[in-house]
Amino acid sequence: MIRLEFHDPSGRIEVKQPHAPRLPSLAGRRVGLVSNDQWQAHRMLPLLKSLLEADFPGIQVLPVDAFPQGNAVIGSEDTAARVKASGVDAVIVGNAA
Amino acid sequence: MTNAVAGLGLAPDAAMVTFPIEAFLPGSDISTVRARRGEFYDGLTRWRSALAGDGAGDLPMIVVEAPSAEAALARANHLMLASRWGDGLPLWPPTRERVDWILEGSAQPRERRLGTFPPRGGVTTVESCAIALAMAGGRPEYLGVLVAAVEAFLDPASGSESLQAASGSAFPVVIVNGPIGAEIRLNAGFGCLGPDPQRPAGASIGRALRLLQQNQGGALPGLGTMASYGGLRYTNVVVAEDEAALPAGWAPHGTERHGAAPGTDSISLAFASGATNIRRRGAGKETPAQDALEGMHRMADFMRVPNMPGLVGYEHGTPGILLLPGVVAKTMAGLGWTKATMRDFFWEHSRISVEQLRRAGAPAWIEIDASAVTRESLSRDPWPITARPENFIIVIAGGGHPTNSYWLQGYSPAVVGRPVERPPALDRLLAAAERDLGPRQSR
Repeated sequence: MIRLEFHDPSGRIEVKQPHAPRLPSLAGRRVGLVSNDQWQAHRMLPLLKSLLEADFPGIQVLPVDAFPQGNAVIGSEDTAARVKASGVDAVIVGNAA
Repeated sequence: MTNAVAGLGLAPDAAMVTFPIEAFLPGSDISTVRARRGEFYDGLTRWRSALAGDGAGDLPMIVVEAPSAEAALARANHLMLASRWGDGLPLWPPTRERVDWILEGSAQPRERRLGTFPPRGGVTTVESCAIALAMAGGRPEYLGVLVAAVEAFLDPASGSESLQAASGSAFPVVIVNGPIGAEIRLNAGFGCLGPDPQRPAGASIGRALRLLQQNQGGALPGLGTMASYGGLRYTNVVVAEDEAALPAGWAPHGTERHGAAPGTDSISLAFASGATNIRRRGAGKETPAQDALEGMHRMADFMRVPNMPGLVGYEHGTPGILLLPGVVAKTMAGLGWTKATMRDFFWEHSRISVEQLRRAGAPAWIEIDASAVTRESLSRDPWPITARPENFIIVIAGGGHPTNSYWLQGYSPAVVGRPVERPPALDRLLAAAERDLGPRQSR
């Protein structure tokens, strides 16, 4: 019997931080929308805002233009700081294709 | 997306709601968002990562067994394809023996960390490069060029993090300068972007880089990379500049772009999204000057397109890489042309009228670009395809024949250079290559 033993080429992954904890409920929460302004985000994210507001009492969903929009800016530290400063409990980011 | 999440140092999964591509097209039916809104709500409340642990520790070796050597090789290849580690062509299993042999070509310790391969974030070391090179059929003397190319690729300025996943089918182009190119059998002449049994280094190095992009970086078609076509991705492009054919006074690319001392070994990495052969030579009884000028116009005409992916390199990158055969460079130099005057010509004659840009909807892309220089370029009519002439790359390479030149259309936020380190064992390795592959032949 011929035995071939060889390296796994995929490389290990480092997990440095946990995902953000989830909320127990969306009622009464403040939610942000961060948009790359591509792939129909200008339609889908406002629709989500209206759905969230209809489904959860007391929820506040910030408008899609509350934060800078576009692929060139949404990944920046400045945008992250603005999101944090806004006091939102959760964020929906879209759209990727 | 899971690649991108992993690349940020999070567990490689995420709370996502996915739709067929049709939902993202103009005028799409987005009622599915309403129908599936519960998935969005769950993502914010009930979702939990299914992947635990910190990912630390060495990966276990893979083992296959079979009754014969051929069957074991076939089984290993099948396993690598099933594991999504291959490219569809036969692979050498990266055994300890083969990887250790490749590492004889390293100037650095095998455990030296080069970074994490975007977007997935696979931890990449010199040994990772050796594993990929072993799989790609490489030899130890190629390793220094591959390591330098990986270092350039992992430089955040290269744009690799987004280009790995983007739909525009970007592929890395690695230009090698210095004596190392000819020594390790990189092709700079006839068929330099294609297969060559006597000069196979470019294919192996480029294939190894692609395997790293896929296996460490997660760039699997339709999963980790949305490249619509993926052309030139089996081997990428790894080519040496034909420095022996540089006319007097013409500097090598590595010197012009990166300040490398002439005669030193270096690589230069940029991304391209396409390749076009240009019929440069005239067909009549042109004078040398007329033939040169008409050829220059024809090349500029190929460049004069609203290449929106190229906008990422408008300010600091390149609109593209022109490969010009040495015999043409010699003629051009005899007529007084230099690389610099050719770049000036291309910059001037590849401009596009703003009316033509508007017809093609190009201003919408230019107006949303992150670079103020790019956004403000719309005030210029005709619009230059790049911010400055120096951004054009001209490399002397290709067969000694005057008819054609080659244009690799840029998709590159930057052009990143790195020195190539010579391993202590290089002379011995080159002598072994002479034995294994036969004597190096001049073109």
